[in-house]
Amino acid sequence: MTCFSICSRLPSSRLSPSNPPPTKTFLAFLAFPREVPPQRLTLPRNASPFRIACSSSSSSSSSSSSSSGDASGDQSSSNFCIIEGPETLQDFVQMQLQDIQDSIRSRRNKIFLLMEEVRRLRVQQRTKSVKVINENGKEEADEMPDIPSSIPFLPHLTQKTLRQLYLTSLSFIGGIILFGGLIAPTLELKLGLGGTSYEDFIRNMHLPLQLSQVDPIVASFSGGAVGVISTLMLMEANNVEQQEKKRCKYCHGTGYLACARCSASGVCLSVNPILVTGAADRPLQVPKTERCPNCSGAGKVMCPTCLCTGMLMASEHDLRIDPFD
Amino acid sequence: MSGVLLWVVGPKGNAASLFNLEPRTSKKQRALRSYPRVRVVSVVSAVSSSVASPSRSSVDRVYEVVLKQAALVREQRREKALDVKKPEEAEGLTGSDLLNTAYERCGEVCAEYAKTFYLGTLLMTPERRRAVWAIYVWCRRTDELVDGPNATHITPKALDRWEKRLNDLFEGRPYDMYDAALADTVSKYPVDIQPFKDMIEGMRLDLRKSRYMNFDELYLYCYYVAGTVGLMSVPVMGIAPESKASTESVYNAALALGVANQLTNILRDVGEDARRGRIYLPQDELARAGLSDEDILRGKVTDKWKGFMKEQIKRARKFFDEAEKGVVELNAASRWPVMASLLLYKQILDAIEANDYNNFTRRAYVGKAKKLILLPVAYGRALVGPSADGRA
Repeated sequence: MTCFSICSRLPSSRLSPSNPPPTKTFLAFLAFPREVPPQRLTLPRNASPFRIACSSSSSSSSSSSSSSGDASGDQSSSNFCIIEGPETLQDFVQMQLQDIQDSIRSRRNKIFLLMEEVRRLRVQQRTKSVKVINENGKEEADEMPDIPSSIPFLPHLTQKTLRQLYLTSLSFIGGIILFGGLIAPTLELKLGLGGTSYEDFIRNMHLPLQLSQVDPIVASFSGGAVGVISTLMLMEANNVEQQEKKRCKYCHGTGYLACARCSASGVCLSVNPILVTGAADRPLQVPKTERCPNCSGAGKVMCPTCLCTGMLMASEHDLRIDPFD
Repeated sequence: MSGVLLWVVGPKGNAASLFNLEPRTSKKQRALRSYPRVRVVSVVSAVSSSVASPSRSSVDRVYEVVLKQAALVREQRREKALDVKKPEEAEGLTGSDLLNTAYERCGEVCAEYAKTFYLGTLLMTPERRRAVWAIYVWCRRTDELVDGPNATHITPKALDRWEKRLNDLFEGRPYDMYDAALADTVSKYPVDIQPFKDMIEGMRLDLRKSRYMNFDELYLYCYYVAGTVGLMSVPVMGIAPESKASTESVYNAALALGVANQLTNILRDVGEDARRGRIYLPQDELARAGLSDEDILRGKVTDKWKGFMKEQIKRARKFFDEAEKGVVELNAASRWPVMASLLLYKQILDAIEANDYNNFTRRAYVGKAKKLILLPVAYGRALVGPSADGRA
């Protein structure tokens, strides 16, 4: 427990000496063990990141210098700006590699802990609120994954409608089998009007005559197969459409846009002023390329609409968002 | 004068409404609307230099911007003959393949979010179409920063950074592919940066203000979010070479169309906006009609409300008429789409009247059939060329 609390406090205090980060309060909350069942902390899944964080932060805190560089980008959220710009490359530029690794680790740790907090808060929210409707409810509905139907035009599925769907489908199947197997032959239902036979029907429709020679088993197999395959195809297409609706339209779900500075290649020509001296006698040199300052070589930059999440509505998109789902 | 004014970007509503002549009935858009507005208390930044002294009315200040725009356009036309291509423009996005992809994406975004407007752009020449798409996407992205589903993560600093990116792209250093499309558009057409900056200023304004004391304030807001769009698109639409009207008058008409569109938007969405805590109607006029904010929030259509709405609609129609005078001065190829959008958006006012002025619960929209009928009507009216005496 103490290790937990120390670890959770250490990174925050080390990284932002001047202003206490808002997360400090959360970490303080977590440090109190009263609502944390002890067994949670012993789960290896949860424990190991803490231990790593503990060891690394303790070692680096002893060895770290003032590392004032991280104050530039790393401070409290009020100074952080989520929109990328040409100077965002300068954020964190003064940090050492070890510091960067520690920062990343501690932040991921914080994210993990905060997600757990969100989960517990949602549990409380559900227990306290009687109904989950109105506009707030709609917001939640958009955050948590709904069960949309994969059959086009059908409304959203619940247990009740699923049972109805089973009943309807099974009864249809039963009815058609009954009709085809028993009722139709008994009533001697023929295909055409006025009791014409299959062959006459084919001839009347001016279809190729070999169709009348088709074996009944082959015919039913083909018909069934065509039905199943086309249904599967339609359902898949509908599913793709549904998923596409959730994608950010600007970046097509990738979260990134092509960097314009390097035309998505990652490298730019280094623009240095041409030296005048000796330029006449020296042959033209191949222009040197450098890492693109906009995207630092990635070739792509953040999509500001979905904030790099690729979703139409950016959320943390985690299973912990709704524990009752 | 631009029909592109359809895209009256209004942070007051969901951005889709702007570019939107179609009913906002899709669930997705409803969901977007339910998102809370960013309520960031920010210190009022210095108002843009062109609208400096607060003692003059908004109409005058906006008119000054229009004059400046017109003057710039004339200057740019003279310079273009002598100008060598700036070196910064050559750097960076040289691959025309990426540029074409960017423009295509702009078209996709436009088609996705503003279907009727997109169809309208298909009436334009291909070059103009792409330019209009690029401008649309920029405006929409800007609007989504403060009004989109992820707006809760946006701080005032984000808008400053966005403005910086705008400055960079006007200097030929676009940041991402959509900026690149706009940078290319800006290099091909004499578009000025001031309307874009004013639009960002309008976004900042919307973060703070939810009530407008008089029409003057409302007019300034309408300029920021909608009039600017008109000013942005006039250089793209182009003024007819045989037009005798002054550049200022055409820009004025464009401005009027933007304001008219925004007013129509406001009048259509009174109920929805009120439910979000925003009333875009002048408080003094409401008081004069004997109405208060509570009446609006209650959402009951009374005779007082009907009388008030009649006056508002009359004023919006006046702006449309003023705008129509300028459409005929545009380039022949641009008159039809612009006139079509003007007539379509004007129909919304008729729809409000048909709803018996109930803009609290009923959505006024123009049906598909009516839209289709208006197309040939617009074509007919667009055949009229520039006026003989240049009076726009």
